[in-house]
Amino acid sequence: MNRLNTLALAAALAGAAALPAAAQQEHGTTPPPAGPLRPFRVPTPEQFTLANGLRVVVVRQPSLPIVNARIMLRAGSQYEPAEKNGVAQLTAALLREGVRGMSGSELSQQMERLGAQFQTGAGYPTASATVTALKPVIGDALALAARAVMEPTFPEAEFNRVRTQAITNYVQSQSTVEGISGDIFSRALFQPSAPYARQPLGTRATLEALTLADVQAWHRAMYSPRNATLVLVGDVTTAEARSLAQRALGAWQGAEVRLPAMSNPVQAASGTRVILVDRPGSVQSGMYVGQASLGRNDPDFFPMLALNEVLGGGFKARMNMNLRERHGWTYGAFTYLDARSQVGEFGITSTVRTNATDSAVAEAVREYRRIVAEPVPAEELASTIRNVVGSFPNEVQTVQGLSDRFETALIYGLPADYWATYRERVAAVTAADIARVARARLTPNAVTVVVAGDLSKIEQPIRALNLGTVEVWDTEGTKLR
Amino acid sequence: MRRLRPVLVLAALLPGALAAQAGPQPAGSQATRITYTEETLPNGLKVVYHVDRSTPVAAVDLWYNVGSKVEQPGRTGFAHLFEHMMFKGSRNVPDGQHFGLLEGAGARAGSDINGTTSWDRTNYFEQLPSNQLELALWLEADRMGTLVDVLTLDKLNNQREVVKNERRQSYDNQPYGTWLERTLGMVYPEGHPYHHSVIGSMEDLTAASVDDVKNFFRTYYAPNNAVLVVAGDIDVDQAKALVRKHFGWIPRHDPPPALRDASLPAVIGREQREVVPDANAPAPAVFVTYRVPSARAPQADAVQMLSGMLSGRSGALYENLVRRTGMATGVSVFNLGLVDGADMLIVRASGKPGSNSDSLEAAVHREVANAVSALSQADLDRARARTRYGFVDALQRTGGFGGRADMLAQGYTFYRDPNWVNTRLAALDRVTMADVQALARERLVPANRVTLVFVPNRAPAAQPQTPARP
Repeated sequence: MNRLNTLALAAALAGAAALPAAAQQEHGTTPPPAGPLRPFRVPTPEQFTLANGLRVVVVRQPSLPIVNARIMLRAGSQYEPAEKNGVAQLTAALLREGVRGMSGSELSQQMERLGAQFQTGAGYPTASATVTALKPVIGDALALAARAVMEPTFPEAEFNRVRTQAITNYVQSQSTVEGISGDIFSRALFQPSAPYARQPLGTRATLEALTLADVQAWHRAMYSPRNATLVLVGDVTTAEARSLAQRALGAWQGAEVRLPAMSNPVQAASGTRVILVDRPGSVQSGMYVGQASLGRNDPDFFPMLALNEVLGGGFKARMNMNLRERHGWTYGAFTYLDARSQVGEFGITSTVRTNATDSAVAEAVREYRRIVAEPVPAEELASTIRNVVGSFPNEVQTVQGLSDRFETALIYGLPADYWATYRERVAAVTAADIARVARARLTPNAVTVVVAGDLSKIEQPIRALNLGTVEVWDTEGTKLR
Repeated sequence: MRRLRPVLVLAALLPGALAAQAGPQPAGSQATRITYTEETLPNGLKVVYHVDRSTPVAAVDLWYNVGSKVEQPGRTGFAHLFEHMMFKGSRNVPDGQHFGLLEGAGARAGSDINGTTSWDRTNYFEQLPSNQLELALWLEADRMGTLVDVLTLDKLNNQREVVKNERRQSYDNQPYGTWLERTLGMVYPEGHPYHHSVIGSMEDLTAASVDDVKNFFRTYYAPNNAVLVVAGDIDVDQAKALVRKHFGWIPRHDPPPALRDASLPAVIGREQREVVPDANAPAPAVFVTYRVPSARAPQADAVQMLSGMLSGRSGALYENLVRRTGMATGVSVFNLGLVDGADMLIVRASGKPGSNSDSLEAAVHREVANAVSALSQADLDRARARTRYGFVDALQRTGGFGGRADMLAQGYTFYRDPNWVNTRLAALDRVTMADVQALARERLVPANRVTLVFVPNRAPAAQPQTPARP
């Protein structure tokens, strides 16, 4: 941590009223000043590797007798071939539906008898099996989770049932304007060959085409100790972690996994593209306005993070104050920055009243233009940075919150002191940085707009905005007109 | 693990969140007791202080003893609409600055700054760096003391629209979105405090006036009708001085009127069923609800254990409806924890797209009966183990939804005992198989159940903007 960053952090944390006022004796008319800052440290991770190649990361946080243990594999949906979309998540879901010598029911019973929370799942970069349990039973819970990862049996009946559940999840998601618009937005930002154009869940069509053999092959190819990391967070010492890891996962054997090279080509855009999806009778519309954005390892990540927070990171951020508090068109409006490998997504999103949909789209595009055209005022940026920096200790109070962050660090190979110095990195962002990144990274006259809603009511008003080309797609991503 | 969607549950009324709050929260042994000191200010404000210095985070959590159950006919949804008005500024806080100041102090909107309304209580909370504790106290005191000084019709109209959007987003535009208000209307008779939903009807939201807001404030938003919890990295003497400084001057109000009689017969007395065509739903779903003893009744602990025994991936309902027969793609069981008259225990089963809703309904009814006759000690042990875990898990958070501050405030608001949370584990350990079986045999019967069968109806139809039985 350099000196400049240290000073920036101190300034960011000092609060809005940095100068201590004379202590008031009565409830006053102005906000009271902050008191002296109390120290906070993120625990330092320790690492070791078992003889079978499994990496283990230990983060000790002993304030309560609880431990989160996550077996994380580089086996997420970004490594799937397009036609097998959904196989990573389906495989992860099936880990808990039968292991050697034990049915899925018996596994669930044993976990619940321990009072352990057991979850398996997959996103773009990783698949994982996670248990959170009280310290006295974490060894037994982790051993069960390890068996699920190492020796799942994938019974055919369970495969059929869980695949049907996945298809149902997809259909349920596509029955909401939020689900439809989010899915179509990703499809529109990336070229069809890009894994990021597809959701980890898969689609009805790809899930229906998956076979049990696909799942077995995926597990065989991707699940190996040399492609896995065990993350242990909570009331656990490094010595305890060694013995827990060795007992649960020491016998696991597997080869090196050669991962396919990542390529996520984005759709070239010369002007704004509007994509509408019909949901007849809808009383609200789901809206996305944005574009493909930078990756997690990009040097501009922190200025972009700050820009995202200013535009739509909180209640007082621009989008919510505009669409909700000024106009009353929505219950909330925000932006998100999902920075992944090399590229990611950035956008404004909201669910808005049907008869205000065109106005909300117009305001979203206007705010998008404004953050590129005008510098962010100093106090707005300072307040935003104080928010991100000051709330960080809250966000890592839980073993789950800490574990999420160390998983991110592992996925993107972030430096060992990344979370220890995270607040300093955020605090160092200046308005000039944001202005530079906004101009370099955002193209407000060539954005992608996706709206799902009742087209009989919203299509003409949105066309009348003359934002760019207008297309109509179905919910499965096929262009209709 | 989809993209990181921003989530802001403002004035939340998510059934899941409420169930979690009302659900298992027993206290544990060793480091898991919530120690506290308490006092009552001369104006009647109850204050509870809890010290936990494991992180430099402080929480302020203010529970008012008012919820949708006090609403009058024609004003459903008002307690929640009022809660939104509490974020629109007070004498010394301009509109928008409540969030602005707190966000600038290092609290995240939604998770650290929020207000929530349920049938039984309304709360407001802040979780922030502990050196900013006084700011949170100043803001809560300012609106408790002076909210109506700066109230305007413009502000009310704005939040009326926001709440209508909340209703659309959370209920009207979602698959099965109306299940809860339909169920309430059938489990609780006309005129009962729980007969209507917290979100209320569009017509009643339209009708709410500035005078309604003023009267509600005078009646219920009083120091002597609230409990304030200050928790986390605090010094108790210093916190006490700050609480006196900011809240001490607020006058006591006349006590609010007593709640109208909420007592009910143990069982509903007749089976009720409704088939709901749902244009938003892609697959059938069945909601079966039973009237059960309230969270203040002697059998409340047995209700909680019964709910825990029937739920989970190794519970009989999941095993038989999801795993063995594949009739349902998911099953959940939960109770709301309502405190007056009677609570509800709900079994929700989701069907496959294209499957037959009648078969799903018959299967749910059959499997509930089977589960009741097969309740075992292993189920009870499992429910206890999960409950113990859930308690320690919740202790990780100082404030926010369901953290330490909420647990203390809940105990005082509903049981007049902040120590309630520390007695839960022992109380739940005293529940016997005989208690649970007697409860299940009496309550989980056809004459005490309400069944909603949602059937996909993809033809574009006009969305009802208000429930049949608000």
